[in-house]
This record gives sequence, structure tokens and C-alpha cells, in this order.
Amino acid sequence: MTTYIYGIAAATHPALPEGMGGIGEPARKIRVVRQGNLAAIVSDSPEDLRPKRRDLLAHQSVLDEAGASGAVLPMRFGSLADDDEAVVAVLAELADHYEERLRALDGRAEYNVKAAHDEQAVLHQVLAENPELRAMVENNRRAGGGNYEQKLQLGEQVTNAVRAREVSDGIEVRRALEPCAEAVSEGPEGSGWLANVSFLVRRETADGFVAAVEELRKSQPHLELRVHGPLPPYSFVDEGPAQQADAANSTTGVR
Amino acid sequence: MTVVPAQQSGGAGGTSGLYDVIELILDRGLVIDAFVRVSLVGIEILKIDVRVVVASVDTYLRFAEACNRLDLEAGPHKNPGLPDLVGEVTESGARGKSKGALSGAAETISDAFSQARDEGRSKEKEEARPRARRSTSSRSRKEEQE
Repeated sequence: MTTYIYGIAAATHPALPEGMGGIGEPARKIRVVRQGNLAAIVSDSPEDLRPKRRDLLAHQSVLDEAGASGAVLPMRFGSLADDDEAVVAVLAELADHYEERLRALDGRAEYNVKAAHDEQAVLHQVLAENPELRAMVENNRRAGGGNYEQKLQLGEQVTNAVRAREVSDGIEVRRALEPCAEAVSEGPEGSGWLANVSFLVRRETADGFVAAVEELRKSQPHLELRVHGPLPPYSFVDEGPAQQADAANSTTGVR
Repeated sequence: MTVVPAQQSGGAGGTSGLYDVIELILDRGLVIDAFVRVSLVGIEILKIDVRVVVASVDTYLRFAEACNRLDLEAGPHKNPGLPDLVGEVTESGARGKSKGALSGAAETISDAFSQARDEGRSKEKEEARPRARRSTSSRSRKEEQE
């Protein structure tokens, strides 16, 4: 029977979600596989496991539940072991590393922030800041909207200005929220947002982080911000991709 | 005990929330070499939810039109943002607008997944692992309605 792994916690974790429903239809029951100071949150896996909405939600929900009462290292979706013994072997082999990561992430959660432009508002802003573009718009209007060439020309310049705004606003989002976080991780490349950034936030300072987001909403009303958190620290389980917020701040805070 | 995932409390509870964090679940998180991973064939579709501006003739013409319609007097002299009420109305409206504008936005998770399934179907032969088989479509449809 294949074993599906949701995450790794300390054996002392006070409330692992044993018996909760996990992936599969019907939902496979959550079990806990223990080895030394570690515990893996697992269930059986259905034979035909695919990244379907229901299963992604189940993966996330189990980790949410476990993460609410103690540190958990979330696995990427879809990790399978031949059996529970294979899970035990991995826990034993890499115990020091996982214990260190659990200590480092204890009491912390990931907040993911995505930003896009409110189109009307950003066009207003771009035209307000750029008298030449504004003059082009007014010329075109007098010409009943302008001919095809004029429209293309205006459109291209406006597009360039908006894209430049995307870059600078992406930097601004990160800069504004970084001071409230312990570490920062850029989301996957080419995600289609002008900013897609995850922040590692201490749970006791989470209110401060949320307040900083609200502040950003108010000061940059042309930004549409989507915030998700607290989440299991998906982006911070490995030290690799994440950058320490402190290190980033000590340079210019901008990269 | 039965847990309905969509009712879980926490940041990414609902379906729209899941859509926003799906790349974290699929692309981040701990990977252990000793374990195999389920095939993600077809999931590339997620990257097509493009919200940034793509330089193209379509975009140029659309922006030219949008500038033409813009109330220039309202913009520069006022707060660049929209008044609260308008802001709320356009929040849903803007999505529709930008959808037409920005290339091929896959708006909902079910969209993404029905496309992913189609891709999965066409790429089925490429799927290497035996347990990476796609679900039957009747079952997937049912899940979309959940």
C-alpha cells in the first residue's frame, strides 16, 4: 500500500490530526508515523492520485490543521513512499536536518501576497505623471479617437508606462512588507502577477503584517492585493530559495 | 470523521483561496528524493493566469481605447484610486475587463482543471508513472460541482 506524506512535525507536536480525512475519495484517514523525535503525517494513497482540486484542498487542510498547534514542514503535493517503513527510514536518515528546520520555523507562518494593477486607476496614474501621453490622448480625442496608427502609437507608449509601473510597484510591495517578515521568498517565475511574494511571519507579529498590507492598500489604491495566510511555510522549508529579510534590508531592501 | 476541506478555517480555506495558493502547494514545499512524486502533466496551465500587461497590438489598441474613455479630469487632481463605492463595484468588474484584455486568463480553478484534464488526455501517453493516471471524467465533473 502506497503511503502519501503530508508533512513532518516534531514527535512532541501536541495535536497531530490523526483520524482526519485526507486525500482520496472516500477520504483516506490521516495516520502518524513516528521515528525518534519526529513524526510524519501520512495516509494511504489512492491508486489514481492526480493533482485534483479535492486532493489539493485536502493536502492543504491537513497541513493547516496540523500547523495550527505546532510547527510542521509541509511536503510538496504528491509525495509518495512505498510504505510506512520507507517513511521511517527517511525520518531516521535526515533527522538532524528536519529537527533544525522545525525549530527554525516554530511559531512562524507563510503569508503569500499577490498584486495586480487596477487598470482604470493605473491608467489615471500613468497619464497624470506623463504630460506627453496626456497630450497624445487629448489629440486623439480631438481627432475622434485617432486613426489606427495614432492609436497604436499611444497604446504602445501607455503599455510601456504601465509595464514600468508593474516593475516598480512589484519592488514597492516587497519593500513595504519586508520589514514585518523574517524571510522573503519570490513566488514561481512568470506567475503573471506584478508581485507574487511569500513572507515568513512570526505568529505573534502577524497582526503587524496584516496592518502593513492594509496600509499598502490605502497608500497604493491602484494595486489590487490578495493576501493568503497564515499558510504552512511551503516556501521556507528549505533554506535555499528564501532570502533572509534582514540581509535584504541591510543592503537597500530592493532587488 | 469526515472533514469538508472547503470549510476549514485558515487562510486558504475556500476554492478561490486554493486557486491563489495552488502554486505553493504544487511548486514549493519539502521534496524528499527517496519519495516519488505524482505526475503533474497538464498543470502548466496554471501559469496562464496572466494578470500583468503583455505587449501586443491587441493591448495597444485596447489601452488607446481605454485612455480615450478615461475621465482625465477625475484622475490627476483626485486621489489616483477610486472612491470606495466605485472600488467595490469595479473589483468584480475589473476582473472581467482585464480578462478580455490580458491574454487567456484562466479565471477559476475548475477552468484550469478542465483544461488540465484535456491536456492530460492528449499527453496521456507521456505519463510515465502508473499511478499518475487521470481520473475518469465523470468523477472530475462531480468534483467541480462540489
